[in-house]
Amino acid sequence: MLLWRTTLLNELNFGLNLWALGGTGLVAGFLGSALGIGGGFLIVPILTLALHLPMHVAIGSSLVAIVANSCTAAGVYTKARLTNVKLGLFLETATIPGAIIGGLAAAVIASSILSALFGLILLYVAYTMVVRQYLMSEDVLSADNSVAPDNTPNNLSSSLANSYYDQNLGKVVTYKVTHTPAGLGASFFAGVLSSLLGIGGGIIKVPVMNLVMGLPMKAAIATSAFMIAITTTVGALIYHYYGNIYPFIVAPLVIGVVIGARVGVELTQRARGILLRRIFGGILFLVALLMFLRTANVI
Amino acid sequence: MEKTKFDESRLNNWLSLGFKLGIAVSSALVVIGLIILLSISEAKDIQPLVRLEQIPAAIVISVGILILLLTPIIQVIVAIVFFSITKSRLFLGISVAVLCFAAISLALALI
Repeated sequence: MLLWRTTLLNELNFGLNLWALGGTGLVAGFLGSALGIGGGFLIVPILTLALHLPMHVAIGSSLVAIVANSCTAAGVYTKARLTNVKLGLFLETATIPGAIIGGLAAAVIASSILSALFGLILLYVAYTMVVRQYLMSEDVLSADNSVAPDNTPNNLSSSLANSYYDQNLGKVVTYKVTHTPAGLGASFFAGVLSSLLGIGGGIIKVPVMNLVMGLPMKAAIATSAFMIAITTTVGALIYHYYGNIYPFIVAPLVIGVVIGARVGVELTQRARGILLRRIFGGILFLVALLMFLRTANVI
Repeated sequence: MEKTKFDESRLNNWLSLGFKLGIAVSSALVVIGLIILLSISEAKDIQPLVRLEQIPAAIVISVGILILLLTPIIQVIVAIVFFSITKSRLFLGISVAVLCFAAISLALALI
């Protein structure tokens, strides 16, 4: 432990550009809130590959930035009634235990393994964003709701049903929530990934809520942001305990993220994100490749 | 039904206000900490490790980060209060469970 600490201190004995950190936060906050995935996918690769921070420090910093991102987004989404608060709390009962397990596991897993794992997840997200059909249109969301028999109890289903006013459609959208056991399982997995890799977990939650549980895309993004705020807080506290959160690294990131997230949320409410998602998916493919090269010590 | 929707609308307002307040206060403290840091460090490049003269800036930023990290937890407490008032036992139990899990993780972090 002492040897690891000394090594870490040596790794951190260099200067960091405040504007580079702030700019990273700004872009991650914007894209993360606009796409509903937190922003950790951008922050961790930049901090490790471009700014040469150790993986554990990058993940800890990323988790704090994601809390800032999701709190900013949740403040707007809850006001607009897009967030399904009851569903978010219900799924959190599975996500937080997952986050605890992920946080504890991250302390004993080598950085190279984390990098490789992160690269794999990036590839999955890139595939999801570029290829999968469900992200292309709000209208497609409930077309494939019959993938499995729904075993959600009726009273729970009716309690979780919700509605909101959609500005683009100009009408009130009402929806039911189905397949809650599948949602709980996916939420647990998202919690593990969140703490283990320093990501929000929205890449799992948003598709599952949208495709499997029957939530409209906007409601899924908003509920995911609310959940991510709670989940990443748990992970961030654990990373804080292990000494992987440095105030001078996190501060410019947080400021950049808050500004970027505010702009991203406005964009989400007004625009369709097809092109943005595809561009981001392409970027993720590139970053995933870089992460694998780094794991193999090629770069 | 109308009363339930009204109540949920009020919960959304409370949560929205809580999130916005948390972000505003924590962001303000982080900005103040950065200003203090820049006023004592002339170069735009900073060291991640805190030097002796940078401790005040680090403390202010750390308090800001702490408030940021507590913001979502406070929202769960707000939900507990709300579901207690509206006597919604199912979601009161769920909210309490979420808070308990968060407390367990906090305990693990502090041990």
